[in-house]
Amino acid sequence: MNVIELKNVTKRFDQFVAVKDLSFDVRQGTIFGLLGPNGAGKTTSIRMIVNIFAPDEGDVLVMSKHVSADMQQHIGYLPEERGLYKKMKIGDQLVFFANLKGVNSTEASSRVDTWLERLALSEWKNKKPTDLSKGMQQKVQFIASVIHNPDLMIFDEPFSGLDPVSVNLLKNVILDLKSQGKTIIFSTHQMEQVEQMCDDICLINHGTQVLSGGLKSVKRRFGKNTVILDYEGPDGFLGDDLVKHHNRFPNYSEILLNEGADAQQVLQRALAAGARVNRFELVEPSLNEIFIQSVTGSEPAATAASVTGRNQ
Amino acid sequence: MKKVWVIIKREYLVRVRTRAFVIGTIISPLLLLALIILPAFLAERGGGGQKRVTVLDQSNDSQLFEAIKNRVESNGTDFSEPGFASGTRFVLSRQPLSSDQSPNDWIKRDNNENGKEASDRAYLILGPSVLDTAATEYHAKNLSDFSIRALEESVSAAISERRLLKAGFDPTQISRYMKPVDMKKFKVDVSGESTEGGMRQDFMVAFALLFFLYMTVLFYGLFVMRGVIEEKQSRIVEVLISSVRPTQMMAGKLIGIGLVGLTQIGIWALSTALLSTVGVAAFAPRGVKVPTVPASLLIYFVLFFVLGFFLYATLYAAVGAIVSSEEDAQQVQFPVTMLLVVPMMIFGLVMANPNSTSSIVLSMVPFFAPTLMMLRIAVINPPVWQVVLSMVIMLVTIVGLLWLSSKIYRVGILMYGKRPNLAELGRWLRYS
Repeated sequence: MNVIELKNVTKRFDQFVAVKDLSFDVRQGTIFGLLGPNGAGKTTSIRMIVNIFAPDEGDVLVMSKHVSADMQQHIGYLPEERGLYKKMKIGDQLVFFANLKGVNSTEASSRVDTWLERLALSEWKNKKPTDLSKGMQQKVQFIASVIHNPDLMIFDEPFSGLDPVSVNLLKNVILDLKSQGKTIIFSTHQMEQVEQMCDDICLINHGTQVLSGGLKSVKRRFGKNTVILDYEGPDGFLGDDLVKHHNRFPNYSEILLNEGADAQQVLQRALAAGARVNRFELVEPSLNEIFIQSVTGSEPAATAASVTGRNQ
Repeated sequence: MKKVWVIIKREYLVRVRTRAFVIGTIISPLLLLALIILPAFLAERGGGGQKRVTVLDQSNDSQLFEAIKNRVESNGTDFSEPGFASGTRFVLSRQPLSSDQSPNDWIKRDNNENGKEASDRAYLILGPSVLDTAATEYHAKNLSDFSIRALEESVSAAISERRLLKAGFDPTQISRYMKPVDMKKFKVDVSGESTEGGMRQDFMVAFALLFFLYMTVLFYGLFVMRGVIEEKQSRIVEVLISSVRPTQMMAGKLIGIGLVGLTQIGIWALSTALLSTVGVAAFAPRGVKVPTVPASLLIYFVLFFVLGFFLYATLYAAVGAIVSSEEDAQQVQFPVTMLLVVPMMIFGLVMANPNSTSSIVLSMVPFFAPTLMMLRIAVINPPVWQVVLSMVIMLVTIVGLLWLSSKIYRVGILMYGKRPNLAELGRWLRYS
């Protein structure tokens, strides 16, 4: 069953087309990655799902119904840009957000206690946001978005500004929510996190869909055309005839081959140039690489360079 | 509707619980009370200070000085208008001068010898022909002391008395005929009933009502603006709008903050009413007249606050939605605040001629009505139809502004960065 269905959705602001003929489905009980470079139309799409904007064309269905104000009770939304009231105690603040979603105060305060405990924030309940670190505020904002126990949750960059321990804690919470049957839309620029957590993905650029489907099938579609090469020695042995794209990392290189190029030739050239090869592996491209390739492939070179730069 | 209530509750409780609210609510009426009572008390106890007046006497009539001194020191100053008399006590000493000595030279010398800084020195010159011309001079560093009028009256009476004596009138008769005129002032209300009151007292009550109305509408309007900016700047709006409609957010904020204002004003109105009854009784035996504010005026005050608040707060909410920071807001809020300030600059005209055509028209202009109509009500009793008409005009304006502001608000709260110009604002109106 699909919890969300977008059918040929278009949204314009004046002359600017933010989302153009976009369609995708989100299956119940899955984690869905909504990906794309900045300004691709992710936030606008999400805002149509949570009933902030209405689409100009097409249908946005949540649980098979057109979105409405009543539907908002069943959706939890953690926007990328989010904040808390500076002069309000954490506990009161969370109860307020729960009340707004229709949870009564008694029920809300017991849920607040449970959640604060779970995210190791209990002792901060009567403190104001100004006393909290940025990471702790992020966790409070996360609680605010799930306090009404919605069936559909939308997290936009939920881990930004968190230390690794907190990231891990929150990841486990999200996976736990999934195992309870919640449907989750996850939007981020961190491709490793998408690889770790998402079942399905949809990549959009300039408001249109570039790529979509199950994570595994998307990767399979790109084939094993990537070489991971860890070597010491001279550079520059890779010819343009073989390599389509080259990501140089401090400890290794990720080399995307041209169509029809033989991976063995890369190895031969490396050895011939006098490089010491520590690791040579033929793999599926990383999601990061797929992202860069798909986005660059779908727009003029100048913008592509800036997108690539941002994601490295 | 339930969501609006949740927002009202938050807006109200967050503000009422602050120390600033508690202090503002308690301190303001106390300050006002002090402002009214203190001068009266000071006057009663001669707390206004002493002024040593050297009478430079060229009149060759030593009894004239005695007559003046008696009058000044027995009557002293006039306490009948509380809050007005500064209650200076004059201590007179005589310095006879011959008619060829220059009083001005004497003053200069005295000033140089006895402290240039001494502000408590004054000089009264009684010239050689003072009893014929009745012309005197008063020299002092401070001429803005209202008590000088009391001194002038005493001097005038004393000179008249001396002139009558010289003309051969019987001293016992003189004091009988010289009795000062006592003119009591009565205020006539709509039903034709007259109640005793003072001009100054009327002025003070009217001015206090006007001023408090201006202050509270401005303060609570700005509260709304700051609240909107806070939510926008901290990006709380992003979280809120996935739960409530922008119009619900705006309604909740306006009503919530309006109720905070109403709470404060309610407390003030009650304490004023208390002062007008209990306070008057308590102070009357001590000779201090406490200005009373009729209950009807207090009810009007509350009504005009509510109307004025919604009129201006709606505009301030739109201003908050347009800008991205408080610094930005300074410029945009200026025209709105000006609308509120203009009546404060022209209230004198309305107060002097509350029934002139221009006063009536001004008090009907919706943005001026909260302050100017309130003022007219306090000064005279305008016909009921005028009061009702001004309220209706305000209500209609409020409805129109709510419609306009909510459209701007809906788009504005999600726009950051550059402030829109008028053309862009027009576009916002179209696509919301």
